[in-house]
Amino acid sequence: MNDPGKCLLKRVIRRIPANMLKTTLSHWGRVSDAQLQSVDFTTSKWALTEKLLNICEENELTVKHVTELEMIHVIDYPNLGMWYAFQLFDPDDAAPSVDMTQFKEQFKFHLSKLMRNVSVKIKKHTDEAIWIRVAWGDGFSRPNHMKPTYVVHHLQSSYVFVTRLTSKLKPLLSQALVLSTRYQGIKDANLSGRNLAALRNLLMRQYQQVFSTKFSTPLAEKSENISNPQIEREQAESATKRHQMACEAFGDGVLPQLQSAVYKLETKFRDHNNKTMTDREEPFKCIVKFTSTNLLESLRHCASSGIASTPVTPLLSSVPVKGRNYFVITDNVPGSSSQTNRPQK
Amino acid sequence: MDRATTSAASTPHRSALVKRRSKSKSHRQSYRSCSGGAASRIGLTPALTARRLNTSRKAPKSLNITERVNAEHLALLVKTKWKLCYATPLYQFRHTMLKSYARQLSAFIVAEKQRGLAVEVEGAQNHFRASFSVLQGLAEADDPETILIQIHSKPLFSSSEEPQRCVWSGWLSCINGNLDYLHSLPQGFTCLPLFGSSGTEVLTTLVKSWCQKTFDCSFGPLEINYTSLQWFMALLTNCHTESNIQHLKMIWSIPVEPPLQVAFTVSPQDAWELWSSVRTATRDLADPGGCIDFEEVERFTQGLKSHFYRHFRLDLSAGSLKEVSTALGGASINGRVKISNSRYMITTLALLTECALLKMPI
Repeated sequence: MNDPGKCLLKRVIRRIPANMLKTTLSHWGRVSDAQLQSVDFTTSKWALTEKLLNICEENELTVKHVTELEMIHVIDYPNLGMWYAFQLFDPDDAAPSVDMTQFKEQFKFHLSKLMRNVSVKIKKHTDEAIWIRVAWGDGFSRPNHMKPTYVVHHLQSSYVFVTRLTSKLKPLLSQALVLSTRYQGIKDANLSGRNLAALRNLLMRQYQQVFSTKFSTPLAEKSENISNPQIEREQAESATKRHQMACEAFGDGVLPQLQSAVYKLETKFRDHNNKTMTDREEPFKCIVKFTSTNLLESLRHCASSGIASTPVTPLLSSVPVKGRNYFVITDNVPGSSSQTNRPQK
Repeated sequence: MDRATTSAASTPHRSALVKRRSKSKSHRQSYRSCSGGAASRIGLTPALTARRLNTSRKAPKSLNITERVNAEHLALLVKTKWKLCYATPLYQFRHTMLKSYARQLSAFIVAEKQRGLAVEVEGAQNHFRASFSVLQGLAEADDPETILIQIHSKPLFSSSEEPQRCVWSGWLSCINGNLDYLHSLPQGFTCLPLFGSSGTEVLTTLVKSWCQKTFDCSFGPLEINYTSLQWFMALLTNCHTESNIQHLKMIWSIPVEPPLQVAFTVSPQDAWELWSSVRTATRDLADPGGCIDFEEVERFTQGLKSHFYRHFRLDLSAGSLKEVSTALGGASINGRVKISNSRYMITTLALLTECALLKMPI
């Protein structure tokens, strides 16, 4: 095995958690059972790597084989980097009939036409997702396997998730995707996060949603010795109402894990206490970034606890409704109070 | 590198009761309780009751202190992020004895480092060398001169030719300290309430405990409260016409489950225009550079908060302001500050000195 292969193997072994190593290796299928038996998985990672390097030499494995191992690991642990969502638009008539084999051939064909030295590996995962690993080179250098781009796409859906893509290579990947899926174009979906499954669930509406209803759930009696039943009831009622509205805006139960939402505000400053600024023509430019370990749950708690007023402003509820977490907000028409969300580009 | 020798013998001893005309503005009269929690402390003596955060302060003059302060010292102050503490007045501290303090502190550190070792390590003395120097040019009026403490060391396994590197720096300062308070101190005490440090926590603790033993003082964490952070924001924004603030960034933390953080960044020109709009209403024409009132500062934050509320219907007052920053400097609630521009060093340190005096237990 050559040096890039060794480097890659070392890195992959280092990244796979020790308790998962044996399972992942047997899943890989490039190492025989007898060889696996001979490896002592209780030794240090360093010793393990040496041993595995020897086995790979023995089996005459190449970089290509090691990239398979990396793919297995990335599919098992997808939440290690930042994922960006893209949306395909205007499908051709042929788009719904594109199948796996066709897509695979087309994608490889188009990408290699666009770029000479590029190494593509495509794998179908159990949940019908297509995982693509692209190692980029350029006209003169071989593909760099240490900095691959990963792409996840569900056939017949219009969403594509990408991680570790540089802006320079974005047009190439976009073009290859558009051609091989038979769509007219692809655009930034303005959604990003560390949790791939969360992005997918958010865009495909796979979380517990609550719909506005006239008859909200009956109120459960809470405490026995109520000092003033009237006040208690009134407070409980408004609390329930707030909770209901919070759930309507963001959903119920466990929500998809988003880490942040960014708003670029370019709106007029309006404050009845400040005439000078209100009279000013230019917009007040600022950027607001919300961060949390689970943004939607935080926002729901804001609304249900009363920190954020209910009904929830469309700006915040747009995150789950539109499946986006990047917004540019400008005034709709000069003088009117409504705002519109304009896409990034 | 040997800064231990630069102790300025000429520094007058400021600790004693100095009979001096009070500054033009009597602090006691102008002090009012402001919204900060710490403001409503009750003092024991009339002089101590004056220890409230100023509700009005001079607009930061852009002071060119580059000529007054040693360039090397200034570079250190500007490039470093400092962790702040308050320090109670030092007893029997002399600006003339810095050389001897340096020797004592070096010995103290070496002794503490060797504790638990059975054998005396050869040449361990050379591993840590403390130096004390006077940071001249910062002090105003009756303030005692700022003291800079640095600890130089060599990595454990380095060759003997390698020069020692500065591994820890810290300073004790008092800028524009409340005169009534400074004058009320009994004989023998020097008030240097602001202690900034940068380096390993271990060395910070050692320096603090040496000071505690030597000068009978005590240290405590200096939180920069909401009121002071608002002051920071306003004072820095006020500088925008002279040097670009690049951005005004506030970080708020909202107490929900899981905790929500809001970073609110305003473009420099808009921040400045909002600031001048809340100022012009009360600007005293007789005093152009003038004083800034806390009411103006509050109107400024209120304006920013209401702009935020108008969009998100989320009340930032429910959370707490954790951090403010601009290109000129920044401060966070846990007592970390960075002053990136030397021109506003004095103003910033004056505000922090006030915070430290307030934090000090009575």
